[in-house]
Amino acid sequence: MISLSISFVRNKSRDEVSSVCSAIAAIAFVFLANLSQAQGVNPLEYDPRAAQAGGAIFRAQCATCHGADARGIDSIDAPDLTLIWARQTTTDASVFETIKEGVAGSIMPPHQNPDPEIWMTVSYLRSIAVSGTNETVVGNADRGRNMFIENCSRCHRVDGAGGSLGPDLSTITGRRSLASLVNSLREPSSSIGRRFKPVSLTTATNERVQGTVKSEDAFSVQLMDSEQVLRAFNKTELIQFTREADSLMPVFSESALTEADVNDILSYLQSRRGRRLSI
Amino acid sequence: MTKRDLFEMQNKLFWKLIFSTLCLGLSSSLMGQSNTASSSGIPNNAGPVYEDILQGFDDPSRWLTFSGDYSGKRHSPLQQITPENVDQLRPLWTFQTGTTTRGRGFETSPLMDDGILYVTGSNNFAWAIDARTGRSFWQYRRDLPNDLTYGASAPVNRGFGMLGNQLFMVTLDAHLVSFDRRTGDVLWDIQLADYKTGYSATLAPLVLDDKVIVGISGGEYATRGFIDAYDPATGEQIWRFHTIPALGEPGSETWPPDPEVLSRGGGGTWMNGSYDPDLNLIYWGVGNPNPDYFGDTRLGDNLYSNSLVALDADTGELKWHYQFTPHDINDWDSNHMPVLADIEWNGQDRRVVMVGNRNGFFYVLDRVSGELLLGKPFTATSWAREIGADGRPIVLNDGSKGCLPDPWGSTNFMPPSFYPDLDLFILTARETCATFVPEEPRYVTGQSSFGGVVFIDGEQGSGALRALDVHTGELRWEFTYPSPTFGGVMTTAAGLVFAGDHEGNFMAFDVESGKNLWHYQTGSRIWGAAATTYLLDGKQHVLIPSGTTLTAFALPD
Repeated sequence: MISLSISFVRNKSRDEVSSVCSAIAAIAFVFLANLSQAQGVNPLEYDPRAAQAGGAIFRAQCATCHGADARGIDSIDAPDLTLIWARQTTTDASVFETIKEGVAGSIMPPHQNPDPEIWMTVSYLRSIAVSGTNETVVGNADRGRNMFIENCSRCHRVDGAGGSLGPDLSTITGRRSLASLVNSLREPSSSIGRRFKPVSLTTATNERVQGTVKSEDAFSVQLMDSEQVLRAFNKTELIQFTREADSLMPVFSESALTEADVNDILSYLQSRRGRRLSI
Repeated sequence: MTKRDLFEMQNKLFWKLIFSTLCLGLSSSLMGQSNTASSSGIPNNAGPVYEDILQGFDDPSRWLTFSGDYSGKRHSPLQQITPENVDQLRPLWTFQTGTTTRGRGFETSPLMDDGILYVTGSNNFAWAIDARTGRSFWQYRRDLPNDLTYGASAPVNRGFGMLGNQLFMVTLDAHLVSFDRRTGDVLWDIQLADYKTGYSATLAPLVLDDKVIVGISGGEYATRGFIDAYDPATGEQIWRFHTIPALGEPGSETWPPDPEVLSRGGGGTWMNGSYDPDLNLIYWGVGNPNPDYFGDTRLGDNLYSNSLVALDADTGELKWHYQFTPHDINDWDSNHMPVLADIEWNGQDRRVVMVGNRNGFFYVLDRVSGELLLGKPFTATSWAREIGADGRPIVLNDGSKGCLPDPWGSTNFMPPSFYPDLDLFILTARETCATFVPEEPRYVTGQSSFGGVVFIDGEQGSGALRALDVHTGELRWEFTYPSPTFGGVMTTAAGLVFAGDHEGNFMAFDVESGKNLWHYQTGSRIWGAAATTYLLDGKQHVLIPSGTTLTAFALPD
C-alpha cells in the first residue's frame, strides 16, 4: 500500500530527523551554556545548524497552518511567512515574540518550546525569506525612472505614485529575484498574482469590461476595471463572464524594452527599495 | 402553510404542551420539586426533560440538541418559509460575540427553549440570548490557561447540551462544565483529560436520559481518544470507551504490539454523535491515528481510528464498528455527524446510518448490525473509486500517483442533512489537491506530532453543495462554490435546503432542483456551522452563525 517513492522520502527524512535532533541538542547545549534569558538578538544568528534544526521544528509544528512551503494558506488566514521580513517592523525579536506568545484572538497559539528552539525557528524563517537579491543591478537608475514612468506607472505604483491596476513595485526587488522580474516583463502571463487575475465580462447593457478580480463569490464578482475603477457585478446580470489566461499587462519584448532598458528600470526599482534585506 | 396546516400544528402544539407539562410535573416531583413554585415561593421553571429531547422536532418551538433531534438529520418539519417566499427572508437582528476565531469559524448550533437561545462561542464564551431581540441575559467567559494546546485545532465550540435547568459545555482546556441556564453560574466543572498533553474539547455534549456523552480532541498529539458518559447531576463518570485499544484488547492486533504506540494512537472523538433510543445505541465517529501522516511506526489497520463505532449507551460497550479508512496516512478523521434514518432498502425496511466521509465516500450502513450497504465516492478523489467485497476501499492512489484530497478532506464535520421525502443526503463537498510528505515526528508531550507536511495546491480548489441519492450514491444536483467550503446544511419539509459557503453567503435552495432561491452575505465565511430553525410567536425563524455574529432571519409580517 505504501509506495517505494514515498519510502525513499521517508528514509531520507528519518536520517534528516536524527541529524537535526543532534543539531538541536548540540546547539541547545551551547546556548544554555552561554545564555540564561531571552533577548532581542538571535543568539543563534551565526550558527548554520540553527536554520536546519528550525526547519524540522517548523515542519512539525507550523506547517499545518502555514503550509509546508511556509507560503501560508489563504482559506484559514494563515499568512505567507516568506514575506514577513519585507515589513519594516519585522525583527528577529518580533518574530520570536509572535511564536512564543501567539497572536491574541487568532488561531495562532502560544508555544511552550524552550527559547533555543524558538530562535532556531526564527533562523529557519530567515533562511527561507523571499528576499530578492543582494546583487546590485548594473544600470542607470535615473534613466530607469523615466522609462518606468513612460512604460509602467500607468498601472504600477512606486513609493505612492503611479497606478493601481498592477501590484505596487516599491519593494518588489526585495521580494523577487531579478530573473523572475525580467520574466514578468517578457512573459507577464506566465505567473499572475493572486489578486490580479484577469477577467472579461459583458453587462446586460452590452458594456464590455476588462479587469482584475479582487474578490468573488458564487453570486458576484468585485474587480478593478482597466480604467482602475472598483466595480462589482451580479453574475446573473451578466451576458458573458470569462476568466482570461492573458494578463492585462502588455508583453515587453526585446524590441519594446532592450536588456539595457530593463536593467535601468530594475536599477531604479532597486534604488527605491524601501529596505535592503540582508541575512 | 394552509389554515388547515396551521390548525393541525396548533392542535398538535396544544397536546404537546399538555404532555410536556405532565412530563415536567413528573420529573420535577421526582426531583422533589414543585413545578410552579418551591416551598419558599421561588418560581421554578424546570426546563426540558429527556422526553422533550426525545420528541425532537415534534415541538418546533424548541431546538434542544445539536441537530434538533437525536437522528442527526437536521431536517425540520417547518413549512412557513417555502421555495415561493424564501426570497423575502430578511434579517431581524445580529448578535455580536466580541470574540474571534480567526482562521476557523463560529461553529455553534444554538439551543432554543421558551424564547431563549443558549449559545456557545469561540474561546469558551457563552450566552443566553433573547430570541426576539437578540439581546443577551448573561455572558460566560472561561478563564482559560495561557498554555492551551488546542488539540491542534482552534479555539472553537459547537454548542451546549441541555437538560432541565442545566447546560453542559466542554472546554478548550478539556473540561466538562455544567451551568445553571438561568444565570450562567457554574454548577460543576470536571476535567476530562490533561490539556497540557494535547487534549482539548470542542463538541456539543449529547444529553441522554441520565447521561451526558462527550468526546475529546487531540489526535494531532500523542494522545489516546475516548468517549465518556457522565452523570448530569454530579459530573461523575459513568463509563469511558477508549477508541484505541490497550495491548491484548480486541482491535489491538491491528497495531504493533507496543503499549507506547497504542497509548499515543490518537483517535479523537471531537464531533457529535447521534443516538437511536430504540436500540439504545450511540453512533460516534473516530478521528485519525497519530502520527497523522507517518504510518511506518503504526503498521496495521489501526482500529478504531477513522471508524464509526456503535456503543451501548448504558455501558459504553462496543456493539459494532466500521472502519472507513484503514491505516489512514492523510488525516482523514471520520469525525462526522452520523445520520440515522429508517428507509426502504431493496424492498425491505432498514434502519440505516449514513456518513459523508472525509475520504470522499458516502456510506450507508445497517445501524443494527453495522453491515455495509453502500459506499460510493461523492468527489473526484483518485484515492479510491470503489469499496471491495470485503468492505475495504480498493486504494488506487496512495499519493504516489498525483495529488489526493487535502487533510481537511472531501467533506468534514460541517453537518449534512437528510431529506426523507426524496431520500436525498445533502452535504458540502470539497475538491482539493494535496501532496503528503511523511516524516517521523519527535514525540514531545504537549507538542503536535503530525509526522510530516502537506503541500496544498491553492490554485486547484473548489466546493459544492451536493445532493446524493442515498440508494445509489448518485449525484442528483449540485451548486458549485468558488472555493473549498466548510458550511453545514439544514433542510426543511417545505422543500428547502439552507447552506453556507466560504465566501460568507447564507443561502436557500430548492431541494428538488438545487436551484438557488435566496442568499444573504453575512460578511464572514460560514465555517463548520449549519442553520437552525424554530417557531417563535407562531413564526418560523432561521439562525446562522458566521464569523463573530449570529443572525436571525424571518419573513416580513
